[in-house]
Amino acid sequence: MENFTNEIVNLNSLPKFEEVNFSPLHKNYLKVVYINIAITLLIVAIAIGVLLYFNEHLQFTSYYLVFGISYLVFAVIVFFSSIASVKKRGFAIREKDILYKRGLISTTTTMIPFNRVQHVAMHEGVFSRIFNLAQIQIFTAGGSTSDVKISGIEKEKAENIKELLMQKIQNHV
Amino acid sequence: MQIDFKSPQRQSILGIVIMFADTLQGVIRAMWAPLLIVLIKLEPEKYIIVGLSFIGIVIFVAIIAFLRYRNFTFFLDEDNQEFILSKGILNKSRINIQLSKIQQVNINQSIIQKIVGVYSLDIDTAGTDKKEISIRAIDQDLALILKERLLDFDNKEEVLLDENQEIISKENNTAKPFIKISYATLFKVGITSKYGRTIAILITFIITLYQTFKDAVDTFELDESQVDSVFEQGLGMASVMVLIFGLLVIVLLINIIRTFIKHFDFEIIKQKNSLVVTSGLLAKKNTLLNPFKVQITSFSQNFFQRKLKILDMNMKQASNSEVEDKQKKSNVIEVPGCDAEERNEILKIILGKIPEKGQEFSPNFRYLIFRILFAILVPATIVVLQIIFALENIIFYFPFILAYFVIASFLIYFGYKNYRLYSNSEFIVLKHGAWDVENEIIQPHKIQGITTKQYFWHKSSDVGHLTLHTAAGDVHFHFGNFTEIKQLVNYWLYQVETSTENWM
Repeated sequence: MENFTNEIVNLNSLPKFEEVNFSPLHKNYLKVVYINIAITLLIVAIAIGVLLYFNEHLQFTSYYLVFGISYLVFAVIVFFSSIASVKKRGFAIREKDILYKRGLISTTTTMIPFNRVQHVAMHEGVFSRIFNLAQIQIFTAGGSTSDVKISGIEKEKAENIKELLMQKIQNHV
Repeated sequence: MQIDFKSPQRQSILGIVIMFADTLQGVIRAMWAPLLIVLIKLEPEKYIIVGLSFIGIVIFVAIIAFLRYRNFTFFLDEDNQEFILSKGILNKSRINIQLSKIQQVNINQSIIQKIVGVYSLDIDTAGTDKKEISIRAIDQDLALILKERLLDFDNKEEVLLDENQEIISKENNTAKPFIKISYATLFKVGITSKYGRTIAILITFIITLYQTFKDAVDTFELDESQVDSVFEQGLGMASVMVLIFGLLVIVLLINIIRTFIKHFDFEIIKQKNSLVVTSGLLAKKNTLLNPFKVQITSFSQNFFQRKLKILDMNMKQASNSEVEDKQKKSNVIEVPGCDAEERNEILKIILGKIPEKGQEFSPNFRYLIFRILFAILVPATIVVLQIIFALENIIFYFPFILAYFVIASFLIYFGYKNYRLYSNSEFIVLKHGAWDVENEIIQPHKIQGITTKQYFWHKSSDVGHLTLHTAAGDVHFHFGNFTEIKQLVNYWLYQVETSTENWM
């Protein structure tokens, strides 16, 4: 009982999550995103092509122009928004919790204390594997809305994070 | 047979068959529409092509099934007390589960698995995708041993309690109920609560009825204009009033009947540290409520209920994925129509003390903008346009339009006025609701995670949103002062991270 203290907590002296330096995703992850964008755009292009080829009512220059321009606008928006959103993402590991920040229009930060982590999964996509990247998924009891998925972490680093999390979970049992 | 889960091992070799069935099922589910079209429109000369491509698909599925089988391994890391599962062909996943976090291990058998003679073993941790951790094909002996090993970890007694959550207890009759809801109270509850839900059910019912009626008219080829004119003649102002009055009576009647069926003979009995809740007219339901498992406690009251001095209480318990999918409501225990004193008694048992409302936080006026825009300005513009272009005889509808705007304004105003967050060192209380004013109480150590959100156009005005994730669902507070929210978040994180209390 001698060590028991119960001082008033000074709210301003608490560590501030908003002042944490977030580490960005690995720069190679952008390449993965490029590949994904390219595939998406290719599929859309093929779909439009099929539509124009089989539908004789649409085979006029004006329709070609409309479809071409919309496609270009769509491609540009997808390209830049994807890249910008990747650059907005970041994560930080503190002594007792993990933070993940993302979002283009809105900035969303999710914080998970280590003593509330249920389990951890590591996923490696086909293209991510080429660049030696992995995705970490952290599960909590809060359901899917509070689960955190962080893509584009170097595989070795991801392993380390997972190892660290598993250790922290163990210590809290 | 030497049983050792220490090294990575595959599923039963028969797993290939299960994987094949699973994959085929997935393919058919994804492509059933085009497949059906192909089959129906099939011309005799194309039989060979279709047949060949069908065989091709089957071979392809078989290869995938084999690869899925080959890449699926699991093992038990006894040093770290972890269960590790790897899977995936192109996209590879590795899932680590701490043994202490495993809540339930279920061994099941589907029809295909029965034919092949294997079992599936699903591992359930609090709040996760069930499909995520499932071994699809395993021998029965092996499954039982693995289950034993997985659960062979200390303090599993709690799990047993969980499984017995709905028990029929006979010895309780001797114990004196500490809360008992009388018929008079049930009647009061029936006439004052859940209008919204009953009206919604009624509307769906009427729409289905109308649809059936229309179908009947169509099939018997009645002259539609005749029927329509009958309708129009009948829809005078007076009859509309009668109709609305009738609907109100029906809503109240349905409410009363439903309340009686659901909460008939409602009783709460104190039993050691937990509460036993009994109720029901047709089927008596017994539920054991463990205060530690309650994640969100809430009570609500509307204007009528305040006059009658009754309120509704809800205790939301931690829900695992299974429950979440099918019927989220089943993990909520409702106490209808208790009075303030009884509420305080229940709160004392569940939370240890009666929560005080701490520092108050109110939303920014921006909370109103979106709601006013969509509930008032947009409809108002439509009405004005209607009047200008005189598309329809608007005068007839005028009382309804007026009623709508009055009600909408009231709801928005009271929704805003009642929207408050209170926080002190022991409790977080979120008050919300325009008509049914609900107070949701959370203890900080039951928080699983916190999310903050800020749109870029709210940055300069320092406004932001907050979500608290608990094992019984999320609690939101929108349009708060972001500086205050950040301070609260830091405080709550501090509380969660230093807390030694179990969240369940």
